[in-house]
Amino acid sequence: MPKSIIKDPALAPEGQRKIRWVEQHAPVLNAIFKKYLADGTLRDVPVGVCIPLEAKTAYLSLLLHRAGARVALAGTAPGYVQDDVAAGVAAEGVTVFAEADASAEGFAAHLNRVIETGPVLLVDDRAEFTRLLHTTQKNHQGKVWGATEQTTSGVTTLRNMEREGLLAYPVIAGNDALCKHLFDNRYGTGQSVFTALLALTNLYFGGKTVVLAGYGWCGKGLARRAAGLNARVVVSEVDPVRALEAVTDGYTVMPLLEAARLGDFFITSTGTNAVLRREHFERMKDGAILANAGGVDVEIDVPALEVLAKEKREVRRHITEYRLADGRRLHLLCQGRLVNIAGGDGHPIEIMDLSFAVQALAIYHLARNRGKLKPGVHPLPVEIDREIARIKLETLGVSIDSLTPEQQDFLRRWQ
Amino acid sequence: MPAPSTIRDPSLAAEGERKIEWVALHAHILNSLQRSHLNDGALRGRRIAMAIHLEAKTAHLAWLLHEAGATVAVTGSNPWSTQDDVAAALARRGLEVHALHGADPAAFDEHLLRTLDTRPDLILDDGAELVARLHEKRRDLLAGVRGASEETTSGVLRLAAMEREGALAIPVIAANNARCKQMFDNRYGTGQSTLTAILSATNLLLAGKTTVVVSYGWCGRGLAAYARGFGARVVVVEIDPIKALEAVADGFEVMSLAEAAPVGDFFITATGSIKVVRREHFERMKDGAVLANAGNFAHELDIPALQQLAGEEREVRPHITEYVLRNGRRLHLLAHGALVNIAAADGHPVEVMDMSFSVQALSLHFLAGHARELKPGVHPLPEEIDTAIARARLELLGVKLEKPTPEQEAYRQSWR
Repeated sequence: MPKSIIKDPALAPEGQRKIRWVEQHAPVLNAIFKKYLADGTLRDVPVGVCIPLEAKTAYLSLLLHRAGARVALAGTAPGYVQDDVAAGVAAEGVTVFAEADASAEGFAAHLNRVIETGPVLLVDDRAEFTRLLHTTQKNHQGKVWGATEQTTSGVTTLRNMEREGLLAYPVIAGNDALCKHLFDNRYGTGQSVFTALLALTNLYFGGKTVVLAGYGWCGKGLARRAAGLNARVVVSEVDPVRALEAVTDGYTVMPLLEAARLGDFFITSTGTNAVLRREHFERMKDGAILANAGGVDVEIDVPALEVLAKEKREVRRHITEYRLADGRRLHLLCQGRLVNIAGGDGHPIEIMDLSFAVQALAIYHLARNRGKLKPGVHPLPVEIDREIARIKLETLGVSIDSLTPEQQDFLRRWQ
Repeated sequence: MPAPSTIRDPSLAAEGERKIEWVALHAHILNSLQRSHLNDGALRGRRIAMAIHLEAKTAHLAWLLHEAGATVAVTGSNPWSTQDDVAAALARRGLEVHALHGADPAAFDEHLLRTLDTRPDLILDDGAELVARLHEKRRDLLAGVRGASEETTSGVLRLAAMEREGALAIPVIAANNARCKQMFDNRYGTGQSTLTAILSATNLLLAGKTTVVVSYGWCGRGLAAYARGFGARVVVVEIDPIKALEAVADGFEVMSLAEAAPVGDFFITATGSIKVVRREHFERMKDGAVLANAGNFAHELDIPALQQLAGEEREVRPHITEYVLRNGRRLHLLAHGALVNIAAADGHPVEVMDMSFSVQALSLHFLAGHARELKPGVHPLPEEIDTAIARARLELLGVKLEKPTPEQEAYRQSWR
């Protein structure tokens, strides 16, 4: 394996300390490691990992490494890399290409370096690896057994590729596993976005109007936690079923253009681009706060904001103030990047314990079933999903019921 | 011209300015009170001495008093909460500042006395630090002081003790007891900022976890409500049967701390008492339990007992000390048991302190005009000032109130 590219190896002890804290709170991954990952299936298998590089993702990479895989790791974008953790996981023997202050080109180079190590299995985020392997790095495509995808936006990209007949290997939609999106997207996003946003702004949330663009799993979690913080919640949607769900959940639903005037806080989690754009910025209140909780960094049309603004400056750490021509000030958090990762420590550990249990077992499943899955997007087998939930419940000491034979029989009957 | 300030480094002023400006942008009530009340001339020429946690929110208050024409001298109420950049910014703006982050007890005392030596006629106090020293060490200045306003519960208790002993020679307004202070600051401020500080510090999930809130006063009520809002299972511990019943009626489980100890994932104290969580509780806690204090003093958790029980201790994340007990279980103490929202984060949200400091500003404004009418002793903030603050906030929010009809008004006044 080539040498790691990291900012400063001397930061390793702090990074390792962060990783130990995760290890202590990741009972599901630890159980899965003992029961499955360590059985030799992954020994000497090259695995590429692309993921926001902080302690939890580092720990997943470390377990794959301890399972015998040859792991090469890159961050998903420069803003999503913690240099101490990169140094810490490199010190444990994982090959790392990631620097927090890398340029866009530097970041692309890091991804390419991972691909050039020749991974056969990929833990992907926003389909970064798969996009490269189907464009500029096609020559490395042939040896890939399969990949697993972490995000909603990545799965959307992969489905587009599949529809166009381009996808050359099987990809498990890790994101779509129940143990992932029901918890990670909903409760993980819900908690971590607000703790980050409130820590960054030091503002009060009770009685404020928060406008949520998108009522998918992330939006649902955001709405629930915002209500828990005593905010007035307004939801904007494009899907009538989801809009109806939001109304039934007790939230106010209106078009974003109407909501633009009312919101004190705006949070996007739609998976699409330019959700908040010029026409919205023009109507917002003085002091409105804009944050993105979605998987892509283009949900807030920052270029449009730049054009609209007369001046711009950093007013607090991670808060950019845009002063419009009429004097109103809009406050953008983390330059429109995922606010909980770029402005905080990301999802809570126990949530990522579940998500990464999905990713780890997806990789394990791909390794065990090499050559048996057709190219295309596949769900995580439901029995793996259930196994993860079962292990989590065991670690919580929660017992559940099972159907009686009579009930099982009843459910099988049709007459 | 003020006397030279005692600050760490004047070159930090730019960063301090940036912090104060962020607060100024969100301190809507104080800003509106500046126009409607503070600048009416009552404070012109007054000399105000302030002792208070010296960070951006308090700095903005000091600045508005200065803008109202008062000569303001500022010191910190606790050396560990003083932010040197904010102190530098205030000094650059022309206020007299005596405060250094991390000052030792002698220097801290010196800063308080130097602030008193500006010969104030009004005092804004925290923990009665200035008023107590005024009575003990600067009696010659007593005659010049018209009155003081006190920010904290503990300060009010200290002043009440002075009054009981016949020692209190000036009128003091218990700003802490105003409804616009404790119903919002103590409840919502503590609720939001404590939970977000704990979650940021630990990066742990609260949903589905058992959170034990020790005490159900204003702080405890806020903590329980916000913990529930994050999806926690909330257990409340109380000694007062009425508060316990209120917690039950609010839908929380209530149990003794001995019962709660083995089931809690998070423990948060807000009692105002000492050694609330102690050896007998630590011994029964789960591996990995997280301990935090949201009360005024660091002695709500019996940390010496924890140190005695533990074979080893180490910092496992910033602000988290791990104590490994002899049976191998690990307990995680946040911020050394100090107020977790201040020690591990930026403290209360700006808008909540906007209300609290509106109470303080109007309390001083009232004293400037009416102190001569008040006897020495502890006084409540006049009710109409309290309601005026709430009214100002509602107006800013565009919220309209109902008025009783003349018939309703007559009905309320009648007794037949």
